[in-house]
Amino acid sequence: MPSIIEIIVAVPMIVGTFLMVVASIGLLRFPDIFCRMHAAGKAGTLGVSLIILAAVFFFVPTSVGVVIRGLLAIAFQFLTTPAATHLLARASYITEYPLSERTAVDELKAYLPSQSDQTYGHE
Amino acid sequence: MPEVAMSAFLQNVCAICLTALLISGGLCVYRIVIGPKAADRAVALDTLTSVFIGVICALCIMWKQTFYFDAVWILTLVGFLGSAVIAKYLEKGRVF
Repeated sequence: MPSIIEIIVAVPMIVGTFLMVVASIGLLRFPDIFCRMHAAGKAGTLGVSLIILAAVFFFVPTSVGVVIRGLLAIAFQFLTTPAATHLLARASYITEYPLSERTAVDELKAYLPSQSDQTYGHE
Repeated sequence: MPEVAMSAFLQNVCAICLTALLISGGLCVYRIVIGPKAADRAVALDTLTSVFIGVICALCIMWKQTFYFDAVWILTLVGFLGSAVIAKYLEKGRVF
């Protein structure tokens, strides 16, 4: 019978791993890059944060440094991964990455013209 | 350093999670190989960095070692820099 601390470590571990697997399957299966970023940017961030949280829970009785570093890593992960995903999505929209043929409406076209439109003065 | 109490339960959980993370890393590598454009590969590389962070955390728990944990938040920062540089290069044709 596992003790209560082991269950506290194991539950975020399993949930985080499940989310990482879901993110990878979405990365493989979705039709265009914006759908893939939807999978990788959301599920990936939460999954890796939960796995780091499991390690933090495991090392709480023994090491303060790991706890501080782990919480900092979670904070950096939540700050940087959505920013990186947004940068990549913006770059790939501007360079006219072809949308999926099942895309219904392209609302961004009115606000962020692509590179072939000369009205968008990029420097 | 005092010994962390640990049974076979947590070892089995870590082994299962490592196997699942290995499978998801394989899926990311497959996307890197077949990705039609560079942006797909950049996204897959970002996810692969996250998978690596998960693997390092699971190995830290499994081996009860703390000194691999520095790699976790170094990888967090370096992964962001890689994605940002690739995005900037794709958008402008140069990095700086």
